[in-house]
Amino acid sequence: MIIRTRGLTKRFGDFTAVDHLSIEVEPGTIFAFLGANGSGKSTTIRMLIGLLRPTEGTVEVDGIDVIRHPRRVRDRIGYMGQKVSLYQGLSIRENVEFYAGLYGLAGAELERRWGALRERFALSQAEREKPEDLPAGIRQRAGLALSTLHNPRLLFLDEPTAGVDVRSRALFWELIQDEAGAGVTVFVTTHFLEETDYCDWVSFIDAGHLIANAAPEELRRRYSDGYRVDIEGVPAERDRLAALLPGGRIEATPSGLQLVLPTLEPAALAALERLVADHPGTRVRIEQPSMTDVFRRVLAERAASGGEP
Amino acid sequence: MSWRRLRTLLRREMLATYRDPFTMSILIAVPLVALLLFGFVLSTKVKHMSLGVHDASDTPASRRLVADLSASGTFDPRPFATREELEHALVSGTVSAALVIPPDFARDFGRDLGDPTPGSARPEVQVLYDGGEAPLAGNAEAFLRALITSSGASLAERHRAGGSNSAGVGVVTRALFNPTLDGVPFMVSGTFGFVLSFLTTLITAVSIVNERQAGTFDQLQVTPATAVEILLGKILPLGAVFVLDVVIMMMIAGVVLHVWPHGSFLFFVLVSAFYVLVSLALGLIFSATSATAAEAVQKTVLFSIPLVQLSGFAFPIRNMPAVVRWLTELLPATHYIRLSRAIYLRAAGPIALLPEIGFLVLFGVILIGFALRTIEARG
Repeated sequence: MIIRTRGLTKRFGDFTAVDHLSIEVEPGTIFAFLGANGSGKSTTIRMLIGLLRPTEGTVEVDGIDVIRHPRRVRDRIGYMGQKVSLYQGLSIRENVEFYAGLYGLAGAELERRWGALRERFALSQAEREKPEDLPAGIRQRAGLALSTLHNPRLLFLDEPTAGVDVRSRALFWELIQDEAGAGVTVFVTTHFLEETDYCDWVSFIDAGHLIANAAPEELRRRYSDGYRVDIEGVPAERDRLAALLPGGRIEATPSGLQLVLPTLEPAALAALERLVADHPGTRVRIEQPSMTDVFRRVLAERAASGGEP
Repeated sequence: MSWRRLRTLLRREMLATYRDPFTMSILIAVPLVALLLFGFVLSTKVKHMSLGVHDASDTPASRRLVADLSASGTFDPRPFATREELEHALVSGTVSAALVIPPDFARDFGRDLGDPTPGSARPEVQVLYDGGEAPLAGNAEAFLRALITSSGASLAERHRAGGSNSAGVGVVTRALFNPTLDGVPFMVSGTFGFVLSFLTTLITAVSIVNERQAGTFDQLQVTPATAVEILLGKILPLGAVFVLDVVIMMMIAGVVLHVWPHGSFLFFVLVSAFYVLVSLALGLIFSATSATAAEAVQKTVLFSIPLVQLSGFAFPIRNMPAVVRWLTELLPATHYIRLSRAIYLRAAGPIALLPEIGFLVLFGVILIGFALRTIEARG
């Protein structure tokens, strides 16, 4: 595990922001840390990167005890906060030179590294501009590029897509996935629950407590009614579908059939493809359970079991 | 500490500071305005004061005395025929001080000339002034006494040349270091302390808290930059600007207000440079311990109130109650203002000022150490 916490707790006076949090993150994955505003996401990330000393518990990042040696992890991590950390009044290029200087990057090495990032993040035209003169989406990309300038093994992104339009968010997540594809572990907090589709693992935090911790598909399976598949025009195929998709629930509708599947396995998709091929004109619509509904269900079950919602 | 990282931090801070016209104008304009304001407006110097004169003697000796007073440029004598008219002018504010020369002024000189007994009668004049403006009146009185004494001694010397042993006029008064009792050098040398203390803390008080709010301070803290590098990266560029400020203030004080340091120019700049670093560290502490820029500014303003009242800038510390005098010693500004006045007014050198320099170094170690801890703080 590249990140491991045990009983991580942070109290501010009588207020407990994070309460005995234990998580593990596998190398090279995108780990989504979700929760409402004020749930403890940013406090957790600040403890993980050594900006905040925990009240209790342990934190290990890339094998380093962050509480005892907060400075040792700094060369290995990249961080992008809620506010993109670009200095106003300096151009993007000057910001790059500043952060590169702090990481000891200069000369040809800097030109090579920044040249590659500039192309990948589409920042060539913005390079000479000051952050305050650029749209939020470009600022976010520049911020991400800066946090990866020194080739970190881990990226900590604290609500990186807040305040960014949908198109820029999608582009941003592509870049994050590229980083993960290159072997970088990404720990990302967000309150856009649907962004978990880009992630390998999801943890929900509520009022400082970890309330769910699993892969997105597993969470959907546990905390939703499942995938809803509406099929128009093949009422006679009900028995065949029931046989092909065990574990699902199947009902007749005025226009055809409706299937409810706990997960969407490749076998189910193949069966649906065969159905469409055998009955030209058949229309299939698949509705994935929303992560918002999953989160609501998690909260509701927690409240029902005696925990605070 | 990495010199490369420090150079990077210095370069960024310099770019940010020098490209910000508002900050730069504050850094340059405020010290100069304060210097000229305190130098001109708050001066207690006696200059061209309207002096009503009733010369009841009207003899060559009394006219000589009035001419000497006029020649000094300090007083503008206006003759009054009667004492009543003179007192009326004083009450109405037409004149700020009054001099009454009695009819027997010259006769007393003559009698003194012929009387060999020590302590025999000496010519006397009466000085009246408006005590409402206490500092100004005090200076005016002292200066008037000094001038009359000087003029009287000169008159006596003439008589002595004729074979007498005249004792002259009035009490011998002499002010050390500032013979004209000019308040401008005092205010100017104190203004350095006030301006540097207030402005340095104000400018740095918003620096870290602004960076925190912009998110750049967190970003900086997760880079390999150490707390020492961050601290030096913050205070050295601003320190350079303030040292430049000190030099400009010294030049303006010299050229415009005719106040030059009696001591070493370089020694004063060095002492000021160190004090600037101490004061910048204090501003960083305010900044690093504040949640918002407004809170940091409030702390600076609260700090500045005792700065004016307790540092000796405006009010003499020796007149304060013992407990308050102890408190004044806890202000770095108190020690810097003492150093400033000692160098400016008394030409004091490093050896004579070792105790005050020691206090300043002690404050520097404590405040810079505390600033480092606040920058490193992890909640």
